[in-house]
Amino acid sequence: MARIAGVNIPTNKRVVIGLTYIFGIGSAKAEQICQQLSIPAERRVNELSDDDVLKIRELIDREFRVEGDLRRELAMNIKRLMDLGCYRGLRHRRGLPVRGQRTHTNARTRKGKAVAIAGKKKVTR
Amino acid sequence: MARSVWKGPFVDGYLLNKADASRASGRNEVIRIWSRRSTILPHFVGLTFGVYNGHKFLPVQVTENMVGHKFGEFSPTRTFTGHSSDKKARRG
Repeated sequence: MARIAGVNIPTNKRVVIGLTYIFGIGSAKAEQICQQLSIPAERRVNELSDDDVLKIRELIDREFRVEGDLRRELAMNIKRLMDLGCYRGLRHRRGLPVRGQRTHTNARTRKGKAVAIAGKKKVTR
Repeated sequence: MARSVWKGPFVDGYLLNKADASRASGRNEVIRIWSRRSTILPHFVGLTFGVYNGHKFLPVQVTENMVGHKFGEFSPTRTFTGHSSDKKARRG
């Protein structure tokens, strides 16, 4: 059990995989960290020495923005757009796609689940 | 793909003249522009532009945060107010 960057407790997986459980660290950054600290790819998280864990923690603190800080930054960026009154901000406010995708069909990720139109007649044959 | 840095931001040249003229006149009047494609420069901060949306000139007070965006982003061209709910459904 290792706590790195706040609340994350990656289990007995390989270190490269375990690190990706941290919000803001994907496979690329995880690999970069392991390479910098020369941790072999086969090493599991529960086999790490306390010293290594400390080193990883320090490296992440120093170089990357993760978890809460990163989430806050993202939220701030969106809030900036919304307060600015620009087109992208309007789309965020409306919960519609921001980057010019079609909304005639699809766009369900942004719009949420489809809602039935009240009073629309079913086609009968 | 993003625009090359060496080209600098895109601005229609006459906007600079208009902005300078407005600054020189001292009165804070709405500068009417059609060039929605132009980038907002730090130079424009504090001025008010009327950005044409194909129908009207919408007043846009340029603030520091807007620098780097285009004028067109602040002047929506479409009006969609939502679907009216079905008449039959409302009656029933």
